[in-house]
Amino acid sequence: MTGLDWAVLFTTLTVIVGYGLYRSRGSDTVDRFLLAGKSMPWYAMALSIMATQASAVTFISTTGQAYADGMRFVQFYFGLPIAMVVLCATVVPVFHRAKVFTAYEYLEQRFDAKTRALASIIFLCQRGLSAGLTLYAPAIVLSVILGWPERATILLMGVTVITYTTLGGVKAVTWSDVQQMIIIFIGLVIALITLVHLMPSAISFPDALYLAGAAGRLNAVTTDVDWNDQFTLWSGLIGGTFLFLSYFGCDQSQVQRYLTGKSIAQSRLSLIFNAVAKIPMQFFILFIGAMVFVFYLFVQPPVLFEQAELDRIQTSGAFRPVAEQYSQAFERRRQAALNLLEAHHAQSAAGVRQQTEAYRSAQHDIDGAREQAARLVGSSGGDQDYSDTNYIFLSFVTKYLPVGLVGLIIAVIFAATMSASAGEINSLATVTMVDLYKRYFHKQGSDHHYLMASRWCTIFWGAYAIVFAGWGRTLGSLIVAVNKVGSLFYGSLLGVFVLAFFFRRVRGTAAFFGMLAGEAAIFATRFFTGISFLWYNVIGCAMVVATALVITHIKASPVISE
Amino acid sequence: MPDIRDVRDEPPPFLGTWPRVYWAVIIYLGVIILACYGFTRALE
Repeated sequence: MTGLDWAVLFTTLTVIVGYGLYRSRGSDTVDRFLLAGKSMPWYAMALSIMATQASAVTFISTTGQAYADGMRFVQFYFGLPIAMVVLCATVVPVFHRAKVFTAYEYLEQRFDAKTRALASIIFLCQRGLSAGLTLYAPAIVLSVILGWPERATILLMGVTVITYTTLGGVKAVTWSDVQQMIIIFIGLVIALITLVHLMPSAISFPDALYLAGAAGRLNAVTTDVDWNDQFTLWSGLIGGTFLFLSYFGCDQSQVQRYLTGKSIAQSRLSLIFNAVAKIPMQFFILFIGAMVFVFYLFVQPPVLFEQAELDRIQTSGAFRPVAEQYSQAFERRRQAALNLLEAHHAQSAAGVRQQTEAYRSAQHDIDGAREQAARLVGSSGGDQDYSDTNYIFLSFVTKYLPVGLVGLIIAVIFAATMSASAGEINSLATVTMVDLYKRYFHKQGSDHHYLMASRWCTIFWGAYAIVFAGWGRTLGSLIVAVNKVGSLFYGSLLGVFVLAFFFRRVRGTAAFFGMLAGEAAIFATRFFTGISFLWYNVIGCAMVVATALVITHIKASPVISE
Repeated sequence: MPDIRDVRDEPPPFLGTWPRVYWAVIIYLGVIILACYGFTRALE
């Protein structure tokens, strides 16, 4: 990082945080602190929803996934538009008319207090864990760029986020999200343009596409039916729909965003915007990762992208043959790529076949060498399931992007993390205060008392996230880790809201035990089967509904005969 | 001062009704998936 990069980084962050705090003035009542006084326009909510979901993980991990595994991850988002339509038609008007602070408050209106409490606790467990992972992402950035210890940077970022969230409330979070998404869009476009310009002059953009495709890095759609494959068209459409129904319909960190809307229509528009914009945005980010792959066809990348781990295993005697195999495979792949392009331009089918085989064979050897290096990390005292996916894009940014742009990309990552984390912590504090503290421990407090309680809850959850962030390193690719943690809890939450909206005869006790059964089914699936995490939501939701219907039938309560 | 929790609903600013907006989103999704499928097949 040069002086200019530091200046860009510092200025961007200061402006974003300062603007958010400026727009949050007057958040001096509980309504304003937690719901922004129901004053937000659709575009602010839309960008805030997008920013909360995106966070730094979007840049760090998604691009790395495309580099290593291609663009299949985009299918994960195919269920999102369907989920948004369902939510706009059902959940949004109900939550607005129920006049609630949290999604779980509605469950007491519909069922009973114990169902609300259980749903709140499940949310707190799930979102508390995710908040830690969100904080972990920028710690990677600082450890790579500055060489700071990850734990120290987690603490630094966490304390900053706690301060910012405690002072500004949801309004500050939302308006800073707007600024951050604008910078993210700008940063994405500039990064791709720069990347294409960095390619060798002999490689045109269509050539880059051809080489990425030949290596399987542009595999946006996979139609195979495989329950154990995380990303296929079917898991995206079915599992993704359930996951996003859960995330946007039952997760307070998102529900709180559209509860701040001026009207039902404004909230609906914010979700419709995400339904339309999210897939192209993810496609674009993955495409950047695929182009980073093409860039590294002609510039030899390190065996591992995390410099600290690479330095550590380089002292091992077993590393030398791995490095030699890697260098030889890289040279073969580079030559095969050039030969493949030549055959392609000459329209020689036999040549293309032959060179494609050589190209993929060399890629296979490179992947093999990288896997061996990762195993060396594990055998030399590091993580057994080590993965450097999260370091690929950052390594490229810091080594090859021009001065100034490095600072901007790092600022984008920082700002996005701060915002996403702030939103999560804000929602955790809201549920703790509204659904637990105010409901069970202090029912008759003043508005000022609850405002201060909200701020103390914010501090508590920020500290909790900091502690959990220390586990991030053991969870592999961050974006998958975040969604895996969510999937352990979302299914049962979705199930209880499905019961609330679509099964009028079901009452509180049936819903409560349905949730417990759903959670048990998800954990059993997690620990006793190899089924992909995207299906946990479907399984959990189905189990909640089935159990509640059976209990309702058995009880045959008087309500049923109404 | 009006109650901040007053709930208002309005038609969408385009396409006239919300169900039409929802159908437009679903059709858009179909187009996106087909485009991604074509992208994959054309470049694999």
